[in-house]
Amino acid sequence: MSLALSTLLFEWRRYMAAVMALALSGLLVLAMTGVFIGIGKGFTATIERSSADIIVMQPGATSLIGGPSGVPRRFIPLVYNNPAVVEVQPLDGAGGSFQSVKNVDPTMSQAERARQGAPRQEFVQASIIDTTPGSVTIPTDYSQELVDALRQPYTVAIDETAVTKLGVKLGDKALYNGQTVTVVGITRGYPNMMQATVIMSRDTLRMVGQADTGPRVGPLMVKLRDPASAERVAAELNAAGDGQWKAWTRQELADANQMAMFEEGILVIIIGGCVVLGTIIGVAITWQTLRGAIMANIKEFASLRALGVGMGSLNRIVMELSFWVGCVGVLAAILLTMGVQWLAMTGAVIIALPPLLLIIVGGGLILIAMLSGLLSLGVLKNSQPADLLR
Amino acid sequence: MTLHTTAQGKHGDYAIEAKGLRKRFKSGKSFVEVLKGVDFDARHGDLTMVMGPSGSGKSTLIAALSGLLRPEEGRVDALDVDDLWKLSPGKIDKFRLDHCGFIFQGFNLFPALSALQQVETVLKFQGLSPDAARKRATLALEEVGLKPRLHQRPAALSGGEKQRVAIARALAKDPQILFADEPTSALDGENGQIVIRLLRRAASEHGAAVVCVTHDPRLEEWADRVIKIEDGVIISDERRTPNPNATLASHH
Repeated sequence: MSLALSTLLFEWRRYMAAVMALALSGLLVLAMTGVFIGIGKGFTATIERSSADIIVMQPGATSLIGGPSGVPRRFIPLVYNNPAVVEVQPLDGAGGSFQSVKNVDPTMSQAERARQGAPRQEFVQASIIDTTPGSVTIPTDYSQELVDALRQPYTVAIDETAVTKLGVKLGDKALYNGQTVTVVGITRGYPNMMQATVIMSRDTLRMVGQADTGPRVGPLMVKLRDPASAERVAAELNAAGDGQWKAWTRQELADANQMAMFEEGILVIIIGGCVVLGTIIGVAITWQTLRGAIMANIKEFASLRALGVGMGSLNRIVMELSFWVGCVGVLAAILLTMGVQWLAMTGAVIIALPPLLLIIVGGGLILIAMLSGLLSLGVLKNSQPADLLR
Repeated sequence: MTLHTTAQGKHGDYAIEAKGLRKRFKSGKSFVEVLKGVDFDARHGDLTMVMGPSGSGKSTLIAALSGLLRPEEGRVDALDVDDLWKLSPGKIDKFRLDHCGFIFQGFNLFPALSALQQVETVLKFQGLSPDAARKRATLALEEVGLKPRLHQRPAALSGGEKQRVAIARALAKDPQILFADEPTSALDGENGQIVIRLLRRAASEHGAAVVCVTHDPRLEEWADRVIKIEDGVIISDERRTPNPNATLASHH
């Protein structure tokens, strides 16, 4: 084991401040970015967890959210032309007001009614599934019972995190755009902090008058005989479409959706601010900690110099030490963020941590540590072996 | 000037020769001259003791001899190097790495490293492979009697043992010149004796030129040569016959 690594492990308390500074800088950036990605994910979870292997959208669309992505209805049979395709269903959805219903006893006084509280009204996003068994639009983690329940007309399901917000519980009646619906299912794992989502069948959506019935439909969700062939079939579909549409594998689209949030200028400013702040705080604290730690061992470094170890080699020891501090900082940042992620989850806030984000932020933290190391190199000039002679 | 000093010298050949060393330090508005034109030499196989009261310039002298502190005037020839102070700082470091050992009053061991690692670290900087470094380091530590303590960290070692690790670190390089600055003053009599005997052996058996700065007159017993310095001037320079079996215990 190298001198730098042994020192870090043995005197870890000395380096704790630097590790914590890096971890908190990392947390700041990871959590902020993760929340924004998570907001996007809240809108697309139902699609991303469906069994669609390929999604066909308009050629110009860059993601599911933020812009039109639907296609003409006549594309559905064209996609069926590929022999690998077993099912094609257009994505549909709408939005509307959702109001809880209070059963009021007419003999109550006005004051008693007021105490009961007013019914709640929220604007919700409506997502659909097809209730035919094994349909491509059903998220893979939906139970058969839930699908069966949604098959009944005028039924909806909501996520457990929206229960309080919407003021309804399982079995309650509510008004969706003024029409009575019954809450027959509570899902888990579909939080959306911006806008609650209600799930209904395509038939219910049609009955409330919001389904696409014209010549244009939403993006096409395509199920393949062999999900492993998704990339190949997507390429075939793109060739067959000749530029009229673009077929995405589910993974490609999920990645694109993640980044779609960052087309919002304000998010870039907020995250950019976090990055700048995190970097400044990280560098300042890590630099001072490293300085202090090197000063504490300055006599030992000086004795190495006396024995003829050059300044370059000592600089390398410090840089290696900074690198390891950075690595531990990355680890601490990820663990801390995972803790916050878990806490946020209980409050319906998704913090999404895609690997690419972890790699970028992790690399950034190591860079911050190395930069702090560079700044601390000046202290080594104090390692004058002549000072050891007295 | 012809070069008297040699790298692979026999006992008695010059290892270091310094002429006219002057060093001043700023003290307030005036300058204090710490070395006032000192001529000095040390030979292979000799344990040369530099003695004097504190502030006499003895530490400054070995700093100037070893390339740690540039004197204002004078020259130092060391081994096969003609005028050490004409070399670049990097070359001076390299010279020390290849040829010089250092022992300080404080032991200056890295708290995180075991005795073996302390010694290995320096050898690795010298360019030895990890295996070779480990072998040499083990040998050096065995030579100072620390075989059972190879894997102890400084916190688990006594003062005497720490100084022996520092000596092993200096001797493992097999230096032709060994500088020691008050090597025994932080130690009790018994440990001091072990340390001075190791220095004596470095001179007699390894043929190193050992330059030992001390103010402890009892160490004279082991010296081949005693140089007394006061106020930056050498006041006496005597050769004597060392007594390797002398004792340095506090009750004597």
